[in-house]
Amino acid sequence: MSAPSRPPRLPRILLRHALPEDTRDVVDGDLHELYMTRRATSGAAAAATWYWLQTLSFTMRFTLDRVARVIRSLAGGDATPSGLDLKLGARMLAKSPGLTLVGGFGMAIGVALAAGAYAFFNSYFYPELPLHEGDRIVALGKFDPKRQREDEQLLHDFRVWQRELRSVVDLGAFLTIQRNLVSETGQGEPIKIAEMTASGFRLTRVPPLLGRTLIDADERSGAPRVVVIGYDVWQSQFAGDQAIVGREIRIGRDAHTIVGVMPRGFRFPINHQYWIPLRFDPRVPVAPGTGPNLDVFGRLARGVTREAAQAELSAIGRHLAAEGPKELAHLEPRVVPYVDIFVNAEAENESTTYALMRFLIAFLLVVVAMNVAVLVYARTVTRTGEIAVRTALGATRGRIVSQLFAEAFVLSGISAAVGLGIVAIGLRMFDDYIASSGGGPFWIDAGISLGTILYTVMLAVLGAVIVGVFPALRATGAQLREAIGSMGSGTKARLGPTWTALIIAQVAIAVAILPPALLKGGQMVQLALQKPGFATGEYLSTQFLVDRDVEASTDSIAARAAMDSSRAIVKKLVERIATEPGVVGVTVTSSDPWGGGHDRVEVDRADGPSERVGYSTVDTSYFRLFGVRVLAGRGFGAADAALPGNQRPVIVNRSFVTELIGGGDPIGRRIRYLSDGDEVNPWHTIVGVVEDFPAGIVNPAERSVRGMYHLAMPGEWDRAKLTIRLRGQTPEAFAPTLRRTAMSIDPMLQLNGTTSLYATYRENTRAAAQLALVIALISGSVLLLSAAGIHALMSFTVNQRRREIGIRSALGGSTRRILTSVLARATRQLTLGVGIGLTMAVVLDLAAGGELMNGTGLLLVPGTAAFMLVVGLIAAAGPARRGLRVQPTEALRAE
Amino acid sequence: MTHQGLGEFEQMVLLAIAHLRGEAYGIPIVEEIDRRTGRSVARAAVYITLRRLEEKGFVSSWMSDPTPERGGKPRRYVKLTSDGARALREARQVAERMWNGLDPASLRAR
Repeated sequence: MSAPSRPPRLPRILLRHALPEDTRDVVDGDLHELYMTRRATSGAAAAATWYWLQTLSFTMRFTLDRVARVIRSLAGGDATPSGLDLKLGARMLAKSPGLTLVGGFGMAIGVALAAGAYAFFNSYFYPELPLHEGDRIVALGKFDPKRQREDEQLLHDFRVWQRELRSVVDLGAFLTIQRNLVSETGQGEPIKIAEMTASGFRLTRVPPLLGRTLIDADERSGAPRVVVIGYDVWQSQFAGDQAIVGREIRIGRDAHTIVGVMPRGFRFPINHQYWIPLRFDPRVPVAPGTGPNLDVFGRLARGVTREAAQAELSAIGRHLAAEGPKELAHLEPRVVPYVDIFVNAEAENESTTYALMRFLIAFLLVVVAMNVAVLVYARTVTRTGEIAVRTALGATRGRIVSQLFAEAFVLSGISAAVGLGIVAIGLRMFDDYIASSGGGPFWIDAGISLGTILYTVMLAVLGAVIVGVFPALRATGAQLREAIGSMGSGTKARLGPTWTALIIAQVAIAVAILPPALLKGGQMVQLALQKPGFATGEYLSTQFLVDRDVEASTDSIAARAAMDSSRAIVKKLVERIATEPGVVGVTVTSSDPWGGGHDRVEVDRADGPSERVGYSTVDTSYFRLFGVRVLAGRGFGAADAALPGNQRPVIVNRSFVTELIGGGDPIGRRIRYLSDGDEVNPWHTIVGVVEDFPAGIVNPAERSVRGMYHLAMPGEWDRAKLTIRLRGQTPEAFAPTLRRTAMSIDPMLQLNGTTSLYATYRENTRAAAQLALVIALISGSVLLLSAAGIHALMSFTVNQRRREIGIRSALGGSTRRILTSVLARATRQLTLGVGIGLTMAVVLDLAAGGELMNGTGLLLVPGTAAFMLVVGLIAAAGPARRGLRVQPTEALRAE
Repeated sequence: MTHQGLGEFEQMVLLAIAHLRGEAYGIPIVEEIDRRTGRSVARAAVYITLRRLEEKGFVSSWMSDPTPERGGKPRRYVKLTSDGARALREARQVAERMWNGLDPASLRAR
């Protein structure tokens, strides 16, 4: 039978949580019925919006109803929090600004973390596809269980599926290519293009805004070259020209006719704005497991479930596996929800990381909530007398609880609003980052959704319940009767063993968790503050790529020839640029000066273990261009370049010599990379030593700048980094010349991220600085809260003993002995906490293979421990000293 | 309002149920109120009120069989109990007693 479309999943889950059990199914059913009607009349998007609004309304009203019921049941009628309660709450907050600031700040960070994580996980991992019946759009792939990833060379299977598969319709495929869009002035701008079957447009059911979409006839080889463009580029590149259809544009080497414009927001299949037909000559046979990487999609046929489609696909797969090569027989064809092929496949691989992240966020929240509750409780308990008076004057328990709830709600509400603001800023920062690296998939909406707001409201209510209602219930419980009984002789409340345990847990968590966070934050600050130590403003850099337009070819000879021609193109570019006026020199490298890879290497005749070193590949002009001095031996020369790649020598830097060769003569020594398999890597001879470059940059995670350089010449790359040193003109001013030159050599030569090294470096450090800020904010708030929590608990427990201290002092006990006994108890608790925390820190570090603390982080552990001890002792000493000042007569009278 | 009295909104919900004669569940009740009053009421408020009315003993409910167009969920039909009917009649009498003998001129704004 048909699997009917359902209302959006997320609000349904929220709704089920918000509604009481006896009403849940009924409301779910009624809203489902209405949703389906609305969907049929006004479309999926309108129906989904309506459903979200209903969810918001139901959740808020039922949550309020529930709170009112609880309070009514406690009070018998007069307990609904009123506007006056809220006003009083605000006044109480103003009366204790310290508590308000610390508690509010902590809660805001807690809410920001929780709501941010919620928004992030939902939009990235559990998105709704914003297309008509998006839940019926699927991706088809072949999963390789041995390598734990998707096998994407699907052309052979795709053809079979197209012929045989009945349970999936509008079957299509796409691949993403990058080409230059050539402007009328002859400058090239690389653009991403979806090479897609025409069925992709049928699948989405989105009509074009102008002209037409791709049609099947466009896919035939020899058909005229056509392109469909997206709304955004129609506006930005073509100024929204109404007569755009029929116009020709140049993409790479070929002219394409624009046949249609898609409406705003259409970015299917991932984040595309240009679509050209995917062409495969059906007469050319394709062997299984060869051909380009394809993503295959389709829509479940009417009345077919995903399980049924999977069954059919598996049957075809078994048939294919029996005929095909043995080494592909283990691949498992599968039908998954469309987004899963891009998102959850990755998430599965890194599921432990995500699980850990979620755990840490939840854990931080618990710490935050616990601390704020402790703070508020410690204050609520000091108000036992006031509460007792109000009870004696006739206030019900519910009335008092509702008052305290309102007070807490003022605090948690303001904190939640601030937290939501932080989330909004964080999401925008993240969105900018994604946009700057090419934009995210069309199904991701990084804004604050209604769901996130709803979730935040629930957090605020929950926060108020934890922070207000629980302490209030305790404060108005058994202790209250006692307080009424002893009214006039001061307040008396007890913090039992639970609180001792809390102090210990508090200290332990801070000692264990904070050092790695501080370390990470410190590293980021260090990264952000570093200066590269050379004039980055003189260099223009660009990432070049020669597109080998071998149309869906599996022909290795053609591919080889294309590779050779691409390299010739690069060589020509370097030669031409070098002769331009104002150019000091040009170099081609694998990465920016501060980039490159890291791997373990061993040195021959060295006793030490293998070490991680940085490496990058440069050409013969690199050291000269950046002014890097050769300290011993020589730089790379033309003779080195004449050798085959695996026999070429290497050059190492000064730190490499000091740390791996112990400062001895490195020239003539050999190094090689460790291999994970049976294959043995070749030895490379060291022919020179250069100074550490860039001198000012140390990757704190690597803790060393030791590095080595390999040699590759400009004609040996088809994609790499080109850096030009300029004199007498700025990199920005030279960029158009570079683009024009590249285009005149070959329209398939693409230049990405053409900008000064200064800008590139700033971009790098900006990310580090932002991360540092986030880490500092989180660990700072945890530290502050822990310190405040410990302070509150300590002063509270010691305060309770003030009378005991007074009596002991009245009976002639020596000040020193009394103080020692009080502090000894506090010290015992604190030390136990530090001990547990240290153990946890070591265990966590061992579990993470030493990565967590990175050696130096362990040095922070004693510091954090000492800090917690000092805070605890100061908190204990104050009340103890006040106790000693109590007049003995007063203490005895009170008794 | 006394403890067992009826609020204005409760009256509206009870009257809608009475109008629907055995066909009353969440959706038609909301529609009935919307249609007769010309006001759009919050759906959630109707469900909360229904729950409260059932607790007060003014309505009783029973579940239908689950259907696929409702995502496999049942409907909860409601009908007035004799207490509910009596409460409605009382509310009407109270209102009528207040209206009785009122000179229309006294409603004119001055």
